[in-house]
Amino acid sequence: MSMLRLDQIFMAAVVAAMMVVPMMSASEESLNLISLILVWGLFAVGFDLIFGMAGMLSFGHAAMFGAGGYALALLAPQVGYVPALLAAALAGVVLAFLLSVFALRVSGLFFSLLTLALAQLAYILASTKLRAFTGGLDGIPGVPRPAMFGVDFYNNRNFFYFLMAVFVIGVAIMAVLRVSPFGSALKAVQANDVRAEQIGYNVQRLRQCAFMISGAYAGVSGALLASLMFYVSPQMLHWSTSGDVLIMTLLGGKGTLLGPVLGVAVFEVLKEELSQFTQHWYGILGIVFILCTIFLPNGIAGLFAKLGRIGKGASK
Amino acid sequence: MSTIVIGLSLSFLLFLLAAGLTLIFGMLGVINFAHGALYMLGAYVCYQIVHWTGSFWIGLAFAPIVVAALGAAMEVTTLRPVYSRDHIYQLLLTFGFILVIEESVRLIWGLDYKQVPTPALFSQPIAMLGSQIPSYRLFIIGFGALVSALLFLLLDRSRLGMVIRAASSDSEMAQTLGINVSRVRTAVFALGSGLAALGGVVAAPLVPIELGMGFSVIIDCFVVVIIGGLGNIKGAILAALLLGMARAAGFTYAPEWVELITFVLLIVTLMTRPSGLFSRKGRSA
Repeated sequence: MSMLRLDQIFMAAVVAAMMVVPMMSASEESLNLISLILVWGLFAVGFDLIFGMAGMLSFGHAAMFGAGGYALALLAPQVGYVPALLAAALAGVVLAFLLSVFALRVSGLFFSLLTLALAQLAYILASTKLRAFTGGLDGIPGVPRPAMFGVDFYNNRNFFYFLMAVFVIGVAIMAVLRVSPFGSALKAVQANDVRAEQIGYNVQRLRQCAFMISGAYAGVSGALLASLMFYVSPQMLHWSTSGDVLIMTLLGGKGTLLGPVLGVAVFEVLKEELSQFTQHWYGILGIVFILCTIFLPNGIAGLFAKLGRIGKGASK
Repeated sequence: MSTIVIGLSLSFLLFLLAAGLTLIFGMLGVINFAHGALYMLGAYVCYQIVHWTGSFWIGLAFAPIVVAALGAAMEVTTLRPVYSRDHIYQLLLTFGFILVIEESVRLIWGLDYKQVPTPALFSQPIAMLGSQIPSYRLFIIGFGALVSALLFLLLDRSRLGMVIRAASSDSEMAQTLGINVSRVRTAVFALGSGLAALGGVVAAPLVPIELGMGFSVIIDCFVVVIIGGLGNIKGAILAALLLGMARAAGFTYAPEWVELITFVLLIVTLMTRPSGLFSRKGRSA
């Protein structure tokens, strides 16, 4: 049996095409759109490690996402861009660790609710008590972009290449993680945590590790979004951010490497296209979600898998 | 004194909302994220009825029925096909509801703030133990207590309540015994939606009616439902009293800390007694 299935090649081709097209031509708007997709895509890829692989529904990823944004905004002027980006990842990991200390004491639905409550606590703290650092509800404007190799990253095209590089590295690391023994162990935990425990896995430790890695992805992507928008605000920490990434991941197909990226792409493109035709695009988006949930439970990746099977059947 | 009245009225408002949420959870096993949107919709429908007829009482009577019918339609067309799947898909559907409801409201009523005047009967404040009490607040307390009592009677004493309790504690067994479980689910979803709308109608004269009103209330609702114990309606009323009074007292003495303390309370509850502060051993439906 070959390691690569047809549907995975399809998906990789779509994602690659998405990244290559703006290199040729493309307007400023579509460049911006694809930059957004890359940033949220990285977030969703990280989110799926905890959601699709470990089977835990976290509603607290907004906290790590926002923490990354704030870490970059506050540190980049002092220590430089790349160290600040690493600090953003670290902020995601540390916050994920803190969250997991509380949230992993319970499981299932209570885990979701506890992560939601903890993240919402972070939102309230950032918008009120920590106003001196975070600028309160106004946020911090003027978040910098990198300054390296004499390239002008304030040019959107150049910054797009930077985003692409980070995205490809992130996805590559995730691809390795998913097929590693760690990835298999997570799948075992999702399938049957009691049995995994009996075999000798430290289930809590595995979950905590996955949560922290996922937090690192959230931190980095939050930092990149802040940098793309030149702005960070408590809105990033709001629980609707956690909801957005969940919708995107489910829409694309949970438990697959690139599915979440496609989900992000569909979400952002729909938002962009529909808003040109009608100002009521959000409602149409809602109807699309409802239809997808009923008719496409495995997301877009599930659709590709079906196509892959049809393709194989025809070739025989 | 006014703190107590405000606290109590807030408690009953929270309970109306939380009761619907916890009923739906007990029956469907899913947290209805669209509950806040239904609350908002209730307020808007009430505004429209008041606009047409000029009577708040007609709004109070009919807006919840309109929203309950809508809830039943939503349940039959979208939720029913996905019960056999993981709960996450039902959660996602309720997310979709929020988007559609909010957009429909924007389409019909626009973005302006709407106002429902306080009904004439309760527009004058009443002097009570030396302070002026808005009489509409007293109406909320009385009405809330009445609805709660009716709800308890319905769930605890009536045949329908028995069927609901049976179907939510073991739907397969109930089905085997000849109960039409899918019809019960629709009824419970409609009842929950109606209660959310009732909350919206009762709150309408107190707050500006706007799109964001559902969003701010849903988190408080979650807090009540979790502290009371998911699916536990008797816990919900105690939790609503606790939270409502705590908030009213908090806003009087330490407004900055209210939100923070609410969440700390929630987190401590989830960590120490995830099935709710007022639950007995095991899960009560």
